[in-house]
Amino acid sequence: MNKAITELVQGVDNLITLPDVFVRINRLVEDANSNMADIAKVAGQDPSFSMRLLRVANSTFYGFPSTIDTIPKAVSIIGTSQIRSLALATSVASSFEGLPNSLVSMGNFWRHSLYCAIAARILCKQAHKCDPDAVFTAALLHDIGELVIFNRMPQQAKEVLYLVLDSADELPVYLAERQIMGFDHAQVGGELARQWQLPPMLVECIECHHDIRSAQHFPRETALVHIANSLALMAETQTLDQKDVSPIDQLAWQIVGLDAGQVIPAVVGEAQEMIAEAEKLFIGK
Amino acid sequence: MPTPPNKPLPLPGFEHIKRAWNEVYAAYAARLNPGEYYVTRNDECIYTTLGSCISACIRDRVSGVGGMNHFMLPAVPGDAGLKSEDVSYATRYGNFAMEHMINEILKNGGYRKNLEVKLFGGGRIIAGMTDVGKRNIEFVRKYIAIEGLQVTSEDVGDTVPRMVVYFPSTGKVRVKRLRSLHNNIVVDMESSYQRQIVEKPESGEVELF
Repeated sequence: MNKAITELVQGVDNLITLPDVFVRINRLVEDANSNMADIAKVAGQDPSFSMRLLRVANSTFYGFPSTIDTIPKAVSIIGTSQIRSLALATSVASSFEGLPNSLVSMGNFWRHSLYCAIAARILCKQAHKCDPDAVFTAALLHDIGELVIFNRMPQQAKEVLYLVLDSADELPVYLAERQIMGFDHAQVGGELARQWQLPPMLVECIECHHDIRSAQHFPRETALVHIANSLALMAETQTLDQKDVSPIDQLAWQIVGLDAGQVIPAVVGEAQEMIAEAEKLFIGK
Repeated sequence: MPTPPNKPLPLPGFEHIKRAWNEVYAAYAARLNPGEYYVTRNDECIYTTLGSCISACIRDRVSGVGGMNHFMLPAVPGDAGLKSEDVSYATRYGNFAMEHMINEILKNGGYRKNLEVKLFGGGRIIAGMTDVGKRNIEFVRKYIAIEGLQVTSEDVGDTVPRMVVYFPSTGKVRVKRLRSLHNNIVVDMESSYQRQIVEKPESGEVELF
């Protein structure tokens, strides 16, 4: 591992902390002796999370036929591992408030992340064989390394963005980062996730979302986040032309077993329809 | 990777514009900053990023000589303190930005009757501020109408920054809406240009940068 990356991430260690409710639920999910009631109890002790959890559970994201009005009911219907994903997803934006920057507004940053998360979740449901809520969270976190770079290395980050624009927006941001800094935001985000001891699937998705061929343990989830990232850019810039956004590795489509032509327009359209509600639920606006 | 052909010579007066080979377009590409313009007879492209600024892309559709500018009207004091000389300075500044480019095109073999115009930019990428993009769009539309020119295509307004790549020799243009990650950089570039052009009015002269 690149020493510069490790140091960079250690430098922000005291500025961002993982939400307590996630840490506690995570511990319970990993603990074979815990049960649903334990998890519901921990979730219920955090009023802010309880409220968000019930709002998400009753939103169109899940579309459950009946109202979910209690935390134990939410845990039993949604599932314990999924509650863990939601604990991270609904609070990660606020945990990065201690890491401000002048290059991108937090609103714009999280909107892209959410577009990616929504697209990944839809793709995941179509591709099967993976957990939509876990992939949603991985996609929501895919660019967190960018926030570290923007906060710690503002001058180089600015040079990166200028270089991208100088290339007529043909040079992808991560390649411009490698050129100027010797590493990219995916590597930084991966290292942050590792130091936070996030589940290995999240670490790999974040670290390899631009380089899916390096994903060794979770190629399927990584490929979904990789594809979702480009679809998020399409949704944001209102285009359906793949040439307008970061190129998608053909291997990603093979891995997930979906056809680009068939899924892109529908997924982009659906993400655009869901973004406003998702911002209210997850970013708290 | 094949070596790119030699860089074609720029027209006199445009030596300062930065040009480099662009792999994707397989052409030399001239990079315009806010306040600059570039006219060419070569088979090359011109590109720029636009927030609330305007780019007019104008060419002689017969001979292929053409160019692109990138400008905005200087800010005028808030509505209450609006003085007529400020407004006329802003308009004069805009007129110059358009005239300079059109004159260069005509000087280099273009005919007024053959000119076709494409307009881009004028976005509102910072919410809440006065809509300077709209003011730029209104100015350029009025200018084009008064001059009796034809707009053959446009992509203006909205809330996104744009990357515009223009080939005067063919008239082909590619407009790419930029992801919001680039908003602040585009705003930065335009703000420092805006500061340059407001500091000049008392001289009465209009100077393009």
